[in-house]
Amino acid sequence: MFFHIVLERNMQLHPRHFGRDLRDKLVTKLMKDVEGTCSGRHGFIVAITGIESVGKGLIRDGTGFVTFPVKYQCVVFRPFKGEILEAVVTMVNKMGFFAEAGPVQIFVSNHLIPDDMEFQSGDMANYTTSDGSVKIQKDSEVRLKIIGTRVDATEIFCIGTIKDDFLGVISDPGAAS
Amino acid sequence: MGSHEALSVDPFKRLVKLAARAFYDDITTKGDKQPKTGRSDNRGIAVVVLDALTRRQWVREEDLAKDLKLHSKQLRRTLRFFEEEKLVTRDHRKETAKGAKIYSAAVAATGDGQPGGREGDEKLKLHTHSYCCLDYAQIYDVVRYRLHRMKKKIKDELESKNTVQEYICPNCSKRYTALDALRLISPHDEYFHCESCDGVLVAEADKLAAQELGDGDDNARRRRHEKLKDMLQNMEEQLKPLMDQLGRVKDLTVPEFGSLQAWELQNAAGRAANGDHGNDPSKSSQGFGFGGTPMPYVGETKVEVDFSGIDGKGDIKSENGNGPMKVLPPWMIRQGMKLTEEQRGETKQEAKMAGSLTAVESSDDKKTTDEKDDVKNIQDEYVKAYYAALLKRQHEQEVHDDSKQQTSNATTSNGVTMPTERQIGMKSKRGDEYEGDDVEWDEEPPAGSSAKNFKVHDLNVEAEASDGDEDEDDIDWEEG
Ligand SMILES: [Zn+2]
Repeated sequence: MFFHIVLERNMQLHPRHFGRDLRDKLVTKLMKDVEGTCSGRHGFIVAITGIESVGKGLIRDGTGFVTFPVKYQCVVFRPFKGEILEAVVTMVNKMGFFAEAGPVQIFVSNHLIPDDMEFQSGDMANYTTSDGSVKIQKDSEVRLKIIGTRVDATEIFCIGTIKDDFLGVISDPGAAS
Repeated sequence: MGSHEALSVDPFKRLVKLAARAFYDDITTKGDKQPKTGRSDNRGIAVVVLDALTRRQWVREEDLAKDLKLHSKQLRRTLRFFEEEKLVTRDHRKETAKGAKIYSAAVAATGDGQPGGREGDEKLKLHTHSYCCLDYAQIYDVVRYRLHRMKKKIKDELESKNTVQEYICPNCSKRYTALDALRLISPHDEYFHCESCDGVLVAEADKLAAQELGDGDDNARRRRHEKLKDMLQNMEEQLKPLMDQLGRVKDLTVPEFGSLQAWELQNAAGRAANGDHGNDPSKSSQGFGFGGTPMPYVGETKVEVDFSGIDGKGDIKSENGNGPMKVLPPWMIRQGMKLTEEQRGETKQEAKMAGSLTAVESSDDKKTTDEKDDVKNIQDEYVKAYYAALLKRQHEQEVHDDSKQQTSNATTSNGVTMPTERQIGMKSKRGDEYEGDDVEWDEEPPAGSSAKNFKVHDLNVEAEASDGDEDEDDIDWEEG
């Protein structure tokens, strides 16, 4: 799920940036540092959308670096148990398959793949129904439901299922070609 | 009113009784260490306690123990269990013997239970007394939630849905779950590998199956499947009465007794209003205060004029239920209503008198009705005057409301034109407002940083906006 929230971060800035572009430098650095990172609490920071405030700078002893507390608005992506996501399959193996929904990695184990889909090893490992009409392989797009998340301080990993109504392949790259 | 309340309370009582028998029948509150034999086996107590509580509202736990001939400790243990189960609300307070009287008075007003008859001991010693009461609203939710969880658990297991697959290393029996999958994949083959010994992990067979393993994997799986199916079917069969009751209760108003204090006040006030002051005038003048402490709201007696006609209910017998038509109270009569004369109460006195007389002739208790009618006449006059005043009041109120609404409409229509949300375009404007404070920053041309992308530019504007109030006594970097 996406959220638009306000976060705060202490930014350290080198004295060489102290000029008319100080604020630009601060914001550029903030974006470079923060966008794409993941915190267990808030999820993945997708994009910064605005700066709420920049607090008073504080000179660090000895170095001359200055720390600014910056409050910024950003869009974060945080997967939840029970959430339905659309994801791209990245890897298929005997144990199941891996998929990505933006920055989130999801593993779907083989017992959460419908029983009528069999694993086919080979060059392009895949799960296929007995009549061959549905196939899950690398680059397939699937709709899945998250049934578990593991949230570390800097990482979120999910496990999902496609064994439920309206879940499974939504576009098959093999069929198009 | 009484019968209306009973209508909604009884199904809830039945719900509690069914739930008690379904879920709390074999609950023991003894410690697990003690052997459950003979006397120490107190299974069934839970059901008895819940049943007793359906016949009461708030009850002092000592009194309940006495009534049930239970040891108060045992009762308290059971109640604590139900408190944890969210079926029962409890309240504890320190009170003098006098304070306890308030409760007794309230109990007397509800008519259930006997007021504790301790008159003499007006000790000022404080005792902690515990009270308990069923929380019907919560019970309804708790029971539904419990059923939902039961069903979901079995169904999920049945379809092996939502279970996190576990893996085990056959060499070192280290366990992993699907959440570790990312660390376990190997570039060389299609299996998961143990982190410690690089052994190929095997998926662990589902938990229930593992318990009764014996024959082949398939067989065990099938047996387990059947067992779960049976379980689900049994559950649905055996809990059907409970589920039906939940359905019946669904649209009814939940009986609410409020907190202990609120309940006491309500019932004590109700008693006072009924003219049932007891024999102690000092008690009523003090408003049943806690040991003399002034209590708000107690003095406020509510007079409820209960016109049976208002409810439009046929089953409630009016005081002189002889007239075939019910006289609608004047404030209920609006323009455009089709009413008979009788309903309007226009031919009221004569017609009613005649009606009642003829009807009464066929009934047995003529004298009493006549006497009643005399009193009734006076009452009617009074009530008529009262409603005339009330009607007038209502009209005034309506006019007042209308004008009020108009004014509020005006304000809202004004409000619409006002920008309620900050818009992106507005932000730069905000920045301008602060120009005065921030001399250094506004020298920087906003378009000067043209090499930067749109986003940065936008942020920059915003930053300026917030800049004004921050940097006043800040170090002026740009000046240095
Ligand atoms: Zn191992």
